[in-house]
Amino acid sequence: MPRETFHRELDQLVEEVLELGREVESCMGAMLDALEAHDAEVARSQLGVDTRYKEWGAEIDEECIILQARQAPVARDLRLLYTVQGVTNHLVRAGTLCEHICRGIAETSDAERDPDLEASVLEMARGARELFRQGLDIFETRDIDRARDLEAADDKVDLLYSEAMNLAVNPGKEGIGSPEWRVRAALTVHYLERIADHGVDIGGRTVFLVTGERMESVMRQYRDRHLDEYDD
Amino acid sequence: MFNVFEGRPETRERGEVRAATEQTGALGMRVENLSAFYGSFKAVADISMDIQANKVTALIGPSGCGKSTFIRCLNRMHEVIPGAYAEGCVKLGDQDLYGKNTDPVNIRRRVGMVFQKPNPFSKSIYENVAWGARINGYKGDMGELVERSLRQAALWEEVKDRLKTSGLGLSGGQQQRLCIARTLAVEPEVILMDEPASALDPVSTQKIEDTMHELKKRYTVVIVTHNMQQAARISDYTGFFYIENMGDPGRLWEFDETSKMFASPDRKETEDYVTGRFG
Repeated sequence: MPRETFHRELDQLVEEVLELGREVESCMGAMLDALEAHDAEVARSQLGVDTRYKEWGAEIDEECIILQARQAPVARDLRLLYTVQGVTNHLVRAGTLCEHICRGIAETSDAERDPDLEASVLEMARGARELFRQGLDIFETRDIDRARDLEAADDKVDLLYSEAMNLAVNPGKEGIGSPEWRVRAALTVHYLERIADHGVDIGGRTVFLVTGERMESVMRQYRDRHLDEYDD
Repeated sequence: MFNVFEGRPETRERGEVRAATEQTGALGMRVENLSAFYGSFKAVADISMDIQANKVTALIGPSGCGKSTFIRCLNRMHEVIPGAYAEGCVKLGDQDLYGKNTDPVNIRRRVGMVFQKPNPFSKSIYENVAWGARINGYKGDMGELVERSLRQAALWEEVKDRLKTSGLGLSGGQQQRLCIARTLAVEPEVILMDEPASALDPVSTQKIEDTMHELKKRYTVVIVTHNMQQAARISDYTGFFYIENMGDPGRLWEFDETSKMFASPDRKETEDYVTGRFG
């Protein structure tokens, strides 16, 4: 009764999701390069990826639906299809945010910038990209022990977010950076925070895929375990 | 593996079983350390499980792992095979099925069985249903009993105008529902079904499954099935039987709520089996 064809189809589906993830990650790399070098050309090269990611995501979704209809998956196969759909959604959304940031870079490349805020945005961009990369890697390797660390790393990005937003609203020097650039920078900060969250969520969904438990429940058990140790 | 009576309190307390029993007359069963033998060969070993009243319990597992042998121990049908016997304890409510003074014939009335292949008698539809009740000395209105049993088996509307015709003239699915009606006519508390739909077409299978949803309101149902999706569709609890090494007896490897067994079972072998990675 082994369902070899079905399981081969599932493997192919996962490979497709990973491929989409790698493309989004590569877009993120270009976005970071453009941010660092104020390179409008590199930023413009990424415009339009959003449409492609959405179409790709829709194809993966459709494959998931067809596999569910044809194969009636259960247990880990069912969790895999559920996870694939969730992860794909995170990848597409992260890709969309990358394109938004690239559009902002392209449209404000000549604008006057606030060096303090720019440094903060850059640091956040590196952190968000790293979280996203790790989330995808956890999904690929199913190394769920690292998913917990991802939540902690996200706290650091959240801290950078607060700092950057504070700088966006309260510039160090009066009149530094054009208003248009400041608005774009604030939006970029918001998008980067979302990208980091997508990375963390991909890790969380992998926890569900492997254990059948929600990330929140796993984190609760982890915290309770520490409390128990403290009580002893 | 959990113990139904002593497991998670929100769904598995004794009180719930008793309440259901008082309401419908159905009883749950408790199996403790049951082993079944064919001569010197131990076919199943150390099965302990509680079968909830008014629920459908499905038993799944690869061929030859002892599911049918186990289910036949639940109404003492196993021992009718020469050399076959069982050890351990099976209780229906408070009655020990294997107690010294227990009459196996009475147990088989209280714990009815439907088999893989429909096996109606070469008699009329009416007589097929009435026969068991008559030999049990039923004194009530036989016509009313036959109609009630056929209605519960979801067959009445299809046969009410031809009750005097032969049961063998019915389709396979109708014959199986006739056998269910025959089982119900002797007013059992538990119904055992050994792959009741495996020889039927999809429409007949669906009718049998719909019937089971209705039956569990009045009876406790245990079903052996090789159809994983059928187990997922119709049962409240699922037991997975498994043989670890060739020549070993079958064991109850995992037993839990069906939703858990088909979403995220605890044991790898269960997950491998329900996802079709072996078997």
